[in-house]
Amino acid sequence: MRRTVLLLSVLLTLSLLLAACPAPPVPQEAQPAPAQEEAAGEAMAEEGAMKVIRLGAAVSETGKFAREGKDTRQGYQLWVDWVNDEYGGIKLGDERYKVELIMYDDESDPDTTARLVEKLITEDKVDFLLGPYSSGLTKSASAISEKYNKIMIEGNGASESLFERGFKNLFAVLTPAGNYTQSALEALAAKGAKSVVIAYEDTAFPTSVAEGAQKWAKEYGLEILGVETYPKDVADVSAIMTKFKDLNPDVFVGGGHFNDAVLFTRSAKELNFSPKGMVITVGPSNPKFVAEMGPDANYIIGPTQWERTMAYKDEYFGTAEEYAQRYEAKWGEPPTYQAAESTATALVLQIAIEKAGSLDTDAVRDALHSLDIVTFYGPIKFDETGKNVAKPMGAIQIQDGNILVVAPEAAAVAELIYPMPSWDER
Amino acid sequence: MSTLTQAARPSLLRRWGGLLLWLLLLALLAIYPYTGVTGSALFTATQVFVLVTLASNWNLIGGMTGYVDFGHAVFFGLGAYSMGILVTRVPLAFSPELSFWQALPLAGLVAALFALIIGLPTLRLKGPYFSIAMLGTFVAMREIIRILRPITGGGTGLDLPPVLNRVNEYYFMLGLMGLVVALIWWIRRSEFGYTLIAIREDEIGAEMRGINTTMHKIIAFMIAAFFTGIVGAFWAWQNTYIDPDVVFIEQRTVEMVMMSMLGGLGTVWGPPLGAVVIYFLQDVVWGNLLNFHLMALGILLILLVLFLPEGILGSLGDPSSTSLGRLLRRAGRRQE
Repeated sequence: MRRTVLLLSVLLTLSLLLAACPAPPVPQEAQPAPAQEEAAGEAMAEEGAMKVIRLGAAVSETGKFAREGKDTRQGYQLWVDWVNDEYGGIKLGDERYKVELIMYDDESDPDTTARLVEKLITEDKVDFLLGPYSSGLTKSASAISEKYNKIMIEGNGASESLFERGFKNLFAVLTPAGNYTQSALEALAAKGAKSVVIAYEDTAFPTSVAEGAQKWAKEYGLEILGVETYPKDVADVSAIMTKFKDLNPDVFVGGGHFNDAVLFTRSAKELNFSPKGMVITVGPSNPKFVAEMGPDANYIIGPTQWERTMAYKDEYFGTAEEYAQRYEAKWGEPPTYQAAESTATALVLQIAIEKAGSLDTDAVRDALHSLDIVTFYGPIKFDETGKNVAKPMGAIQIQDGNILVVAPEAAAVAELIYPMPSWDER
Repeated sequence: MSTLTQAARPSLLRRWGGLLLWLLLLALLAIYPYTGVTGSALFTATQVFVLVTLASNWNLIGGMTGYVDFGHAVFFGLGAYSMGILVTRVPLAFSPELSFWQALPLAGLVAALFALIIGLPTLRLKGPYFSIAMLGTFVAMREIIRILRPITGGGTGLDLPPVLNRVNEYYFMLGLMGLVVALIWWIRRSEFGYTLIAIREDEIGAEMRGINTTMHKIIAFMIAAFFTGIVGAFWAWQNTYIDPDVVFIEQRTVEMVMMSMLGGLGTVWGPPLGAVVIYFLQDVVWGNLLNFHLMALGILLILLVLFLPEGILGSLGDPSSTSLGRLLRRAGRRQE
């Protein structure tokens, strides 16, 4: 027994040593004082020819968010390479700062995310943080950046509850979930829709979307005939669709994730449930949806954070289309909106730093709050909670297998087709 | 314990050595935050403590009593949700920090009470039937939490006040881990512990000898649930938000089982050892296995059961319990 206890204690001690290893022994409290950090930054900068701004992000490379995490990483990396090689570094006064971005794999796990964000702040001594992918992981991560008074700017956590915690260091460039259906419902109401039914998955993000949809429906004078929830990873939605068919609504709003979009469309067709407009939250803007559903995908409407056909542009990446071409040339695949919003996230941070003329958290926070700009991704203006209130959510409709922006008018490239033909008329 | 004289007078060190070394290690760990480490290192250590505590708790019911609980994370989840609900919906305390201490014992009690309720029927089941029943309980609880939207926030979950203090969290978990492992150490030596082992080895035999097996099983189950609930409550606080999908994950139970098995089922020091080993394996090796993470866990579990049924510590004590040990012994004999 003594031997085994010895073995155990040696291992536990070793493990702690291991945990401490990557950190150089810094003689200071666990929570570094800002002054000391700045001093460290300056000392580091004096060594190289060009001063460095350090950014950090924990983004999923593995686990359930691996796919979207990859888009996020590529979006960030595109900006890093552009700002260092093409733009010549971030401008701070007369000087140019090179960007160094440290990215770790958070394994789509909140514990790991928290650990890595803590590491980025206390060990890698990053100046600013970029967000992870998904609302849940952003919740874990932003609590830590708030504690250390580090700015975290993100483009992949849309849940409204992120911005109801009173954080002053969290900023998000994307349209929050509550506004997802705004453009679509506005356009549908303008075309004469009178009533709506809503079905959503019972998780954080779809719930925010559905609550927003109810708000906007009321705003645009649509009567809400029914609201239903369904569990995550649902395999069959026909019960909900049967119920909705009897209500005979003008508009159906539904969805949570990609798979649900497929289920809703199939189920509507099987039951011959033909509302005049079908809005599905996530899925329709993804080319994979069209590929999977074929002609059945036609007339489906979906919100989109960003499309390459949108009319936004800036002095950095040019138009949305030019950004998309740059992305394709670099990564060999077209950008998803997750990728575009990640690039925009980093770009907005850059603009704020340049505007502040400083790496100081308070100065950059003030600069972020005072931003009122348009980027290739869309307009950016933060409210006091850190949400981007300027950017409207786009709406696309699939027309003849093409994903076309139909709302808002400023970004539209096609006319919304309403009402959609019923399933047996096609 | 070959002769009575030896058994009657075990050396003091032999009797208390384990606990002494444990306390010494705890004392060493208590100084750790003052060695100039970062919040990240403290947080990593805290996560290891969480796993050690969970594995030790699981060992009480799974290892010592022999009831392999495949749904033990249900108590973790109940603890986490008790904390979340008490902190966000019942504003009794004056400050968020105070509400943590207020909710903590209640979270443990909720878990223990649930163990009593669910244990009465399920602990009558034997072998895999108990495991399956608990797995079912776990999955059902996740759905119940999802449905009880007005209380639990449904799939959206609950946001806890983001009050983080890595040093305090470290000491809290260090204390809890110290307590739980010491408790297991004590139980292992107590009459209660021997009763549990008697139940594991031969439940009917134990009953024949006048042991109230039901009561002992339930008490062990409740103790394990109580502390697992406390750990869950702490986790909820430290993660600052909970929803059914981050709290009720199967992997958490699998990890508890794995760690206990790897270290040595039913031993005091095995589960802590297993927890430490698996945490770093996970970090170093499985981090590179992309999406095969869970599969790797499963394969390791199978390999363990097949080739190292007594775990690391068990195999060190008795090499013949493993096929490798037997092979080596046979080879040794042949050379002689």
